Amino acid sequence: MNDFFKNTLDPMVALTLIAVLDIFLFLLVGAWTVGGGETMITGLVAQFFLGDELSRIPFWNLVFVPDAGYWKIYISLGMLFGAIVSAILSKEFYLRFPRRLGEWVMITIGGLLMGFGIRLAFVCNVSTFFGLTPQMNLGGYLAISGILAGAWVGSWIYKKVLEG
Amino acid sequence: MSVIGECLVAFVFGSIVGLLVQRSRFCNTAALRDAMLFKTYRNTKPLLMGMMILTFGFTLFLTFGEGKAMQFDVGLNQVAGLFLFGIGMVLAGACTVSTWVKAGEGNVGAMWALLFTFIGMFLFSLLWSENFWPPASISMTGEPNLEALQLGFINARTLQDKFGVPAVIFGMVQVFLLGLIYRAIVKKEQAQLLKHDKVAAAHKVELAEPA
Repeated sequence: MNDFFKNTLDPMVALTLIAVLDIFLFLLVGAWTVGGGETMITGLVAQFFLGDELSRIPFWNLVFVPDAGYWKIYISLGMLFGAIVSAILSKEFYLRFPRRLGEWVMITIGGLLMGFGIRLAFVCNVSTFFGLTPQMNLGGYLAISGILAGAWVGSWIYKKVLEG
Repeated sequence: MSVIGECLVAFVFGSIVGLLVQRSRFCNTAALRDAMLFKTYRNTKPLLMGMMILTFGFTLFLTFGEGKAMQFDVGLNQVAGLFLFGIGMVLAGACTVSTWVKAGEGNVGAMWALLFTFIGMFLFSLLWSENFWPPASISMTGEPNLEALQLGFINARTLQDKFGVPAVIFGMVQVFLLGLIYRAIVKKEQAQLLKHDKVAAAHKVELAEPA
């Protein structure tokens, strides 16, 4: 057990275990997903700040009605919890800050694009690779074609920025 | 299952995933970015392996009408949305999973990415409330709706119902195709290794000569 928190785990082992667990999750509640839970968290936070005003925005009435009992939220909170425990036990928990202003800018734009893209598509990368496509849902193939093109463009920008 | 039961199952699943991803440093962004930019496949192979296991498992249970499949109409918005997402994840250096996991390690950049993911979602909710596209699930029919750029709902189970062939057979075809991609990557890695060894050997000879 000590070694588990000392050495890096083979990602092949990690993904095999996750895939098997995801099949159980699929049978019980639905396949692994992150974007839906994140949207609900957004709605709950917005409700906290805006109160009843939020229900005047149709999206939060018709698509996502804020509900703390939405199971997908707890996948995200679980991942955060599991990572904190794991990082502390392997002595890898410490505060790290992006160093350059350019990094902050890239992360800000990247975050905005991820959030906007998830909602436009109804799915995130996790649903794409670990939910829709393994169910052979047409949306999975559409999403994969989009994410591959996007990652290619993103990599091109990243390379340009790295080269200065 | 009760609401609390569902949330509990989701939390336990998420916790194990968080632990495994933290220990293995698996990252979906790296799986695509590193393959495209650096021709390295450390994360790409596990991604394909996971997809192969899931395809077999999901389609097997779908054959018997078990499991809770994602059910909604799909269309052009999946291509456009994930295109934006793909650019965003490379710029942010993290996907949806690794933002949570890295945030748990104390990475402030990842927390910042999460914050702006939420802001991006909220901005989209404002835009959607103006034009109501893509259609909300309540107005989905499962049939193509070309006016709204929607193609309807198709998965392994609907293929089974339409063609009378068990969903798992379609699944096995997909597993085979994913396996071919996996094999191509392994072959490419072997070729890279061979080239590396040759260059290293040539370098050794050069170094050996003056002595």
